[in-house]
This record gives sequence, C-alpha cells and structure tokens, in this order.
Amino acid sequence: MRKVKPFLLVFLTTIFVMSSCERDEICIDPITPKLIIAFYDFEDDESSKSVNNLAIEIINVDITNKSLDTVGTDSIGIPLNIYALQTTIVLTSDSKNSDLINQDTIQVNYETENIFVGRSCGYKSIFKNVSINRDFNDSERWIKSLVVEQSEIENETKAHVTILH
Amino acid sequence: MKPKHMLRYYINILFLFCFAYAFTQGIGSDQKDTIYLNKYGLRVGLDLYNPIHTAFDNTRKGLEIVGDYRITKKYFAAAELGYMENTTDEDFINFTTNGSYIKLGVDYNAYENWLDMENMIYVGFRYGFSTFSQTLNTFTINNDVFYDDLRTVENGQKFDGLNAHWGEIILGVKAELFNNLYLGFSFSGKKVISSKQPDNFKNLFVPGFNRVFLNNSGFGFNYTLSYLIPLYKKAK
Repeated sequence: MRKVKPFLLVFLTTIFVMSSCERDEICIDPITPKLIIAFYDFEDDESSKSVNNLAIEIINVDITNKSLDTVGTDSIGIPLNIYALQTTIVLTSDSKNSDLINQDTIQVNYETENIFVGRSCGYKSIFKNVSINRDFNDSERWIKSLVVEQSEIENETKAHVTILH
Repeated sequence: MKPKHMLRYYINILFLFCFAYAFTQGIGSDQKDTIYLNKYGLRVGLDLYNPIHTAFDNTRKGLEIVGDYRITKKYFAAAELGYMENTTDEDFINFTTNGSYIKLGVDYNAYENWLDMENMIYVGFRYGFSTFSQTLNTFTINNDVFYDDLRTVENGQKFDGLNAHWGEIILGVKAELFNNLYLGFSFSGKKVISSKQPDNFKNLFVPGFNRVFLNNSGFGFNYTLSYLIPLYKKAK
C-alpha cells in the first residue's frame, strides 16, 4: 500500500487536471444587447398589442439572407450598429398589404462603451445616453407615441423603448 | 564506468520512465547491515518545459531556475524563480502577458530509496507570487450575428503593475541520471488566492501560474534538469 500511494496520487491529479479543462471555452454570457422595443395599444397603454406584419429594415445594413423574428410578437429586439453613433431603423406595419402599408423611420442615437465579458466572449458594447429621433414630416405615422424607457442599454431584461400604436 | 555504476544508471533510467521497479519486492534481508549515507546539499537546475514549448510554438518564451535544499531525510526546501512572456489567442481577444515570478515551498519525498540511491517521488506545496503586465493586442466586439462584419480592433493597451498570489500542490519525480545530475518531472494543481486585476480586463494568464481557469484554478507541467552541489553526507 505504501508503495502504491504515490502512483495513486499521480493518477488522481491527472484525472483532476483532465476534468478541470476547457470550462470557459464556450461563450454563454450575454453579449452586446439588442434594442428591445415593446408595442402597446394607443387606446389602452397598459395592454400590449402586436403589430400586423411588422417588417424591420436597418439603413445601410445589408440584411439579405438575414431575418429578424417579428411574427406575432408584441416586442422585438433590434441589433444596433456598434461602429456608429446611430442606427436608422425603418419599421413597416402591414408590410404584406399594399393598401395599408405604412413605413415609419426612427433614428436611434447613442454612445457606446466596451465592457469586458470573459475569455471566450471577449468584449461587448453597451449603449449610453440613448435618444430617438422620429420623422415628423411623415404625415401618416402608425407610431402614435414613442417613449425611451431606459437611456442605458446594458441588458435585454426589460424593454428599452415602448411604442404606442 | 564500473559495472556497478552502469547498473545503477540503468535502474535510475527505469525509475524515471515507468516506476516499474517500485512494485518488485525488496532485496533479501539476510545481507549484512550497511549504513548508506544520504547526500545533503543544494540542488540547482533549469526548467526544460518552456524552452521545448518555445521550440514548437513561439507564442511562449520563458526561463525558470529551480532549486532545492535538503533539510532532513524527507524534507526539502524548494524555490523556483522565473520569467515569462506569453501570447494568448482567443476567439475575440489576443493579449500578451509579461512578467516574473517566484515560488517558495517544501517538497516531501514519499519514496523509500534502495541502497544509497537518491531518487524522489514527492509531494510539494508552493506559495507563488508574480508581478506582470498584460497587453491587449487586439479585440473584436462580440455583437449579434446580424452584423457579420465583425471588426478586429487594434488596441495595444497595456495594463501595468498587476500581481497575483497563489498556492500550488505538486506531485513529481526526480531521478539521479548520473552522479549528482537529476532529471525530473512534475504536475501541479494551482489556485489563485488573490490578484490585482486590470480595469475592464482580466488576468486570464499569469506568469508561473499559466492559464487561469474560470474558477481561478490552473495547472502546470514541468521538466527539470538539475545538479546537486553536495555539501555533506548523513545517515538520516
């Protein structure tokens, strides 16, 4: 037994070493948050209301072959451009009905800050001093009211912007 | 070389590579009692692992001097002193760690030697301390896959004056290849006790500690070649 002990120890350490590897290889922490927009009823701002056939377009970003899931949701997450200080977004309601189709453009302005997340995730951006410009020259706006709820976008737990329609 | 010495040399080689002879039975007890003296002295050497590592992959450069001093039959005071420059490349970050370290501790030889042999299978403890800098070479901001134009930012930001304290448990083997010349290898399990972290970055690699895992643990592997400067001999 006395002579077996050191071998057992070496063996156990090897097992310990093998099992402790690579636990932080995969990025599972939250990375750069999206802009979360929640849609509410203009008549009753307590009840959420989804937008008919909502289509999203981000200006200057080629989104061919990419899609944002907008079906039947009363909120949506839109990725912001981290290399600029603003992202211009076209929100289209009733996008599949040529009679009712209505495009509203919003411009999101912000400052970015890079935050270290971890070995596998690297850095993420968070957004500060968020403000939104609307196109008021558009006479037929489906967006009746827009409120920036949080001026800092650090995570995706709550809606940052609410839209009444 | 006398046949007796050659035999001892072969046995020691065997000891190093497979430990096989530890399982064989001891020699006959009907021999007359001979008192074998243990060599006491200062053993100094170099770590071979980092130079080998550098030869295959030049993202790591390091030099480590190892030393131990025999206190009693079983206990050795041990120390390592080293310097390391290492570049870590991850998916979204690339950084270089640069610094020096010292480790102090004790080795306990758990191996009963035959005759006058001086081999070791040992367990050791170390306290490690390192001062270093981290240079963030490049990083890529991890954004939604929606934007596929992930840009790598050339940064070069240097975080100076960082440090780390840690503890180590070592398991190793040392074998006397020739008279007073030892080859050894060891595994070590490590845990960071405290660390001065950079702002908006993390000490993901520490010289002497190597990669710091998520739960602040790490491990190491060493090959050492060392020479014993014999000072005196003692029966125990």
